Amino acid sequence: MVRERYGESGIRIVFGDGIDEATHETVRRFFLHFRSLRVPGVIDIIPSFRTCLIHFDNGRVRYEELCERIDSAGTEWQEMTLPDARRLEVPVRYGGDYGPDMDFVCSYSGLSPEEVIEVHTAPVYRVYAVGFMPGFPYLGPVDRRLYVPRQATPVLKVPRGSVGIAQLQTGIYPFESPAGWRIIGRTMVRLFDPATPPHSILSFGDTVRFVRI
Amino acid sequence: MITILNPAFLSLIVDDGRFGYGDIGVPPSSGLDRFALNMARFILGNPENAPVLEIMGNGLSLLFSESVTFAVTGARVKAVLGDVTVEPWSAVRVPKGSVLKVPEVLEGFRYYVGFSGTLEVEPVMGSYTTNLECRFGGFRGRPLMKGDVLTLRDMCEPAGFQAIPDELIPPMKEPHILRVLPGPEADRFTPASVKFLSHRDEALFFRASARLNRTGIRLEGPAVEFRDRVEQSIISEGTLPGTVQVPADGQPIINCVERTIGGYARLGTVIDADLDKLAHIRPFDRVILSVTDREEACRLSQARKDSIAFSIKKQ
Repeated sequence: MVRERYGESGIRIVFGDGIDEATHETVRRFFLHFRSLRVPGVIDIIPSFRTCLIHFDNGRVRYEELCERIDSAGTEWQEMTLPDARRLEVPVRYGGDYGPDMDFVCSYSGLSPEEVIEVHTAPVYRVYAVGFMPGFPYLGPVDRRLYVPRQATPVLKVPRGSVGIAQLQTGIYPFESPAGWRIIGRTMVRLFDPATPPHSILSFGDTVRFVRI
Repeated sequence: MITILNPAFLSLIVDDGRFGYGDIGVPPSSGLDRFALNMARFILGNPENAPVLEIMGNGLSLLFSESVTFAVTGARVKAVLGDVTVEPWSAVRVPKGSVLKVPEVLEGFRYYVGFSGTLEVEPVMGSYTTNLECRFGGFRGRPLMKGDVLTLRDMCEPAGFQAIPDELIPPMKEPHILRVLPGPEADRFTPASVKFLSHRDEALFFRASARLNRTGIRLEGPAVEFRDRVEQSIISEGTLPGTVQVPADGQPIINCVERTIGGYARLGTVIDADLDKLAHIRPFDRVILSVTDREEACRLSQARKDSIAFSIKKQ
């Protein structure tokens, strides 16, 4: 674990080098532990694949104090038992109008649409981060056979619920938005609801399986 | 009540930001010029974090159907009530039926209008601010439109502090000099293309692209070059407002207030004391990046706070 200051009001803690389950579990442990401390002056905690970014108000808490809070926890949190990951099934309609980039994915991967769907629905994916926009899950890892590059220029608008893949990741756009990933399907599940807690259907550490409908 | 006769180019309800939901990707969406925002509230006696209007462009026109005090802060604008010019950064009391117009923005980009009462909007996830992309918060999750009616509650009286002294109003003219602290991936760039990071008398010169909004400000200029054989993107992770990211084309993007996670290499982070300037970068403005260190950043921040406290005490 390496911690470094990020600008004036951030602390970036790095738990590993790559995208893997062990690193993810360490980040998740730390995130759940640190959040439970409710340290005054901490504005936000952003966990992701291999880091946690702590955003703090440097008028309310000093950087050194926060570092002490982080270090004084020692390794206790590393032994904490993680709550079971929630499992969710997300129904998806693949191809056609729902997946405008299916043709591209097929020609890039050499797979038929049927095979793309099979490969995409086979794994149980992990939510490695939620971001880009509220409720957008970064899911992985995607089977190597489905590797596709991002769009060179993002598409200006994809509908809410669009399911995309890019660079061994897959994700769902919770709102109509610009998109840089290749869209292969769409779900009717509403991923984010600003009016009702917990707001995001998916949270950091959950697992997801896509189901073809 | 306040009726929007003309919302100018873009009028939004903003506050200090929506925080505490970084783990589910909810960005701050805060008002970009925090000083201007706070001074509008201060002049009017608004409570902390009260919602205020953030406006871009010429042509704003508001009809007051009750007697109210308002203040315009942020960008230097020409503001009028009929034929009478209104002093910006000041409390202005108007009778029922008055129309405030802002025909022209003179210096800077975004301006703020606050009122002697709290705008009646429901907080969403702890904040009044508008998340424009996802259409929640603020006024029905959208920009104000012609014919919209805003209501004020808890009418307050300005607390005697009627105007912000001129010396406290920062210049908003271009070129905008942004001082940065080096970011986590600063060493991925060639020393020649980011000379400014190691030499204080060096700087990088850009022009803001026309593609700028509350999500990000794209800069155009000499490309920041990646070293050979380094990864040009990163495994997506948390970023903060003011983070300067560099995509593969070498043209930096300054992260504003609508993203929590980024996937580009991070050259640096704009220091706190310069963050409000992001509100006033207009398309094609010159933007200069220079480097500073943490002590200096902290000193600048503190100096600014002290001068504000001093001027306010003096009045």
